[in-house]
Amino acid sequence: MTSAAPTQATATHRPPLRARLANLVLPVFTGLLLLFLFSPIGVMIAFSFNDPAGRQNITWQGFTVRNYVDLWGRSQITGPMVNSLLIATSSTVVATTFGTLIALALTRFTFRGRWLMNLLIFIPMTAPEVILGASLLTLWVTFDIERGLLTILAAHVMFNISFVVVTVRARLAGMNRTLEEAGMDLYADGRTTFWKVTFPLIFPGILSAALLAFALSIDDYVITLFSAGHTLTFPLWVFGVSRLGIPPEVNVLGTLIFLTAFAFIGVQLWGQRRQGKAAPITLVGR
Amino acid sequence: MSDQESRSQIELTIDNLMRRDLISRRTFIRRAGRGGLAFGAALTLPALLAACAAPGSSQKAAAIKWLNWPAYIDIDSVDESKYPSILAFTEQTGIPVEYNEGLLDNADFLSTYAPDFNAGHNTGWDVMSPGGWVVERMGRNGWLEELDHSKLPNWTANCADYAKGLWFDPDNKYSVWWQGGITGLAYDPNLTGREITSFDDLLDPAFSGRAGGFSDMRDMFGLTLLSLGKHPEEATVADVEKARDKLLAVPDGHFRGFYDNSYYDALAAGDLAICVAWSGDVSQMVLNDNPNVKFVVPEEGGMRWNDNLVIPKGGANLENAHKLLNYYYSVAAATMLDEYVGYFTPVKGVSEQIAADAEAARAGSADASPDPETADYYEALAPTIVPSAEQIGNTYPDKQLTEEEEGKWNDLFEAVIGA
Amino acid sequence: MRSLSRGITPLLLLLPGTAWLIVFFAVPMAFMLLVSLQQGTFDTGYRQTWNFGIYPEVISQYWELYLRSAVFALTATALTLAIGYPVAYTIAFRGGRLKNALLLIVVLPFFVSFVIRTLNWRMILSDNGIVFGFLKDLGVVAPDFHFLATPASVIFGLTYNFLPFMILPLYVAIEKIDRRLIEAATDLYASRLQAFWRVTFVLSLPGVVAGSLLTFIPAVGDFITAEVIGAGNPQVFMVGNIIERKFLTSLDYPSAAALGFVLVAVVMVLVTIYTRLVGSDRLSG
Repeated sequence: MTSAAPTQATATHRPPLRARLANLVLPVFTGLLLLFLFSPIGVMIAFSFNDPAGRQNITWQGFTVRNYVDLWGRSQITGPMVNSLLIATSSTVVATTFGTLIALALTRFTFRGRWLMNLLIFIPMTAPEVILGASLLTLWVTFDIERGLLTILAAHVMFNISFVVVTVRARLAGMNRTLEEAGMDLYADGRTTFWKVTFPLIFPGILSAALLAFALSIDDYVITLFSAGHTLTFPLWVFGVSRLGIPPEVNVLGTLIFLTAFAFIGVQLWGQRRQGKAAPITLVGR
Repeated sequence: MSDQESRSQIELTIDNLMRRDLISRRTFIRRAGRGGLAFGAALTLPALLAACAAPGSSQKAAAIKWLNWPAYIDIDSVDESKYPSILAFTEQTGIPVEYNEGLLDNADFLSTYAPDFNAGHNTGWDVMSPGGWVVERMGRNGWLEELDHSKLPNWTANCADYAKGLWFDPDNKYSVWWQGGITGLAYDPNLTGREITSFDDLLDPAFSGRAGGFSDMRDMFGLTLLSLGKHPEEATVADVEKARDKLLAVPDGHFRGFYDNSYYDALAAGDLAICVAWSGDVSQMVLNDNPNVKFVVPEEGGMRWNDNLVIPKGGANLENAHKLLNYYYSVAAATMLDEYVGYFTPVKGVSEQIAADAEAARAGSADASPDPETADYYEALAPTIVPSAEQIGNTYPDKQLTEEEEGKWNDLFEAVIGA
Repeated sequence: MRSLSRGITPLLLLLPGTAWLIVFFAVPMAFMLLVSLQQGTFDTGYRQTWNFGIYPEVISQYWELYLRSAVFALTATALTLAIGYPVAYTIAFRGGRLKNALLLIVVLPFFVSFVIRTLNWRMILSDNGIVFGFLKDLGVVAPDFHFLATPASVIFGLTYNFLPFMILPLYVAIEKIDRRLIEAATDLYASRLQAFWRVTFVLSLPGVVAGSLLTFIPAVGDFITAEVIGAGNPQVFMVGNIIERKFLTSLDYPSAAALGFVLVAVVMVLVTIYTRLVGSDRLSG
């Protein structure tokens, strides 16, 4: 990508072939990479329709939709799935609330010990998960606390708070304070200003923090492993049943989750498009 | 796993939606709420319904929760979620069973449940199937219910002599034998190019990159000690150090990995030419996944082990648990199980029953045409599910390790697996 | 002098979250420190013996694991940077109306559980599977070649899993760059390459730093990739693996805790060196 020839497309002069090809390098690379990112997903979807004879599920042995039809009746997915959803929902609600409060405190007030607060927020995000999980295990064992749903929940809220704080704080920091001041000039007290001005403005930040927390919680394996005892969440269950080959149910569930996310995003993008943004694709050239 | 920045692009999108005033916050919440409910319902409703319909909620009989190893129960050939012997049990007694294949490694099992047992918490299981040395530890620490043998008439009548009174539970106070097997070597002659006879074949440089070690410390060190001429039950720490040295002397990259149960996949797929394996697994592999694989007990000796049915303390389902244990000592159930699983059975008469089934398959009957394939398989299987005198002679049990010894052996093993 | 209510308000806001973090993060870390200084066995109980000697012991025995983990993580970080930067750049500068869509597409595969993705990679990369079976049939690759269970495969797995962690911060940073600065550079006779390095890349550094940290730190402590893709091969055994094994299999809590703390220390040192070198302090995005 070191073409020295400038790509000037004037009305009468087409850019030289070499330059045009050079222009394609980046988009092609990006396209290939996106394909690469999707490869395990593609395989997952394909093999969810596989009909393996034995326990092995690595060669294509026949098409069937039985895996989808049988899904909830078979093996022990329902328990772990319900556990994961319960924990994800509860930890999202709690962590988002606590985290938003902290973000508000950090950006709107000054107090001694801010640096300590920042450290407390920063380290859990950056410490390797195995450490967070292991130290919690130490806590549970020291106090003879039975490991299960509640200990997993405690762990998930813990690591989610930091992410929520960072997300919401960025939103708050970028916010235009003059709007709040305007509110107060118009005789609104602190509480009204907050709910009518600040909160709506930072709401997208809070929402995306909540989505992030939910996603992190549903997918967590390492920290949950240390705090679960014998309770199973979805990732733990997947790992367990995959010791002897990936059972088709795992791929089926993965596909369902993927399609749900795909649909969600597709709807969003379609909603954007509908607002009159039918612009041509401009990947080559500007 | 997303990260702190995936939030910014989600945020951007939401922000775009809102800032353009095209959708008010309330509308968004409403729509998202509906969408979220729909999504959540789609995903969880069937799950919740299934969970509600699960045996646990039936008022008739509390389900028996049984934690077992994988590849240790008979599986229906058409529907892999059905276990015929368990279904028969439920039909006979009316008691449902929640079967779970979560027991993957003896040491992991112990360490997962030890904190609960120590604190006196209920583990949530009614029946478990740990190995011998685990039973010894659990029994000694008071973590197991004592069995009421008056409730186990089948055991008293049918249990073979080699399956009772073993070193880890001489009076069968806590345990009855579930299945037993031998740890030896499995290999694919097409990939190794020759027959395998000795543990040292595993270390043959010709198999570099395609040899599989075992992540179970006792099994792996046991086989190595035997290849050094030492009996595992008598091995000292110095002996184990020699075993460690022998394994470390192997060039880097020779062992493709130190596997737990997952060697099954690698071996069946052909990633491994030779590996340490459990006898029954190989029988099942030959039947279901890879007919080329063979199992052999190394000529210096293999490791003999068995798993046991135990009832952990604190369970509330003692009566039903005993029924399950008793059931598997009936010849019918044990035959059903062993015809699929292929490990050593503790029940007298199973071998003869399998031979009889072979004849029946060969002859055919009113509902089924003659099935020579199944007949051949049963015929070959029948004698192998009882340990022969030769096998007992050439296989050795685990050593009863003290905590200190175990710690040292673990440390030495960690050096082997890569630390 | 603030009024009483204003003085208390920040504290009240902070209280629930901070209390939670202290109880479930700070306190456990303190406990882990205490546990690392104990001796004993699980069954007979641990005694607080203030055995500081465990640290030199653990370091001398396992320093290679730390080195290996750091090397794997650094390589994966470099790879994600090399691969992710062009992608982030393309989306930011050439994405036009599709920017948001493209970003969401980048992130979309990662909605599927990381465990499922890793397991499927193991299947794709298996010796006679989709990729290598095909290559072997073509004769491009030796029949006994295997990719899984090698250091390269673990680095590959790490790189894949952390790509979005690198692409997104990079994108955010690049997108903010004022194009006019680049125009100005080229106006001043800089070549496109020079304009890129001197202007674009430098301005995107906060994104590079954020992405590198978000990739390196989790990667150095990872153990799943080594277990699944690396198949437990001794050559890929990482610090995370030994910590997990000691905590969950051997129940050797003191050593495990000590190993954990050394890991935290190592990470903090490396991060500090890195951020000083780069000179950026905008780590929280």
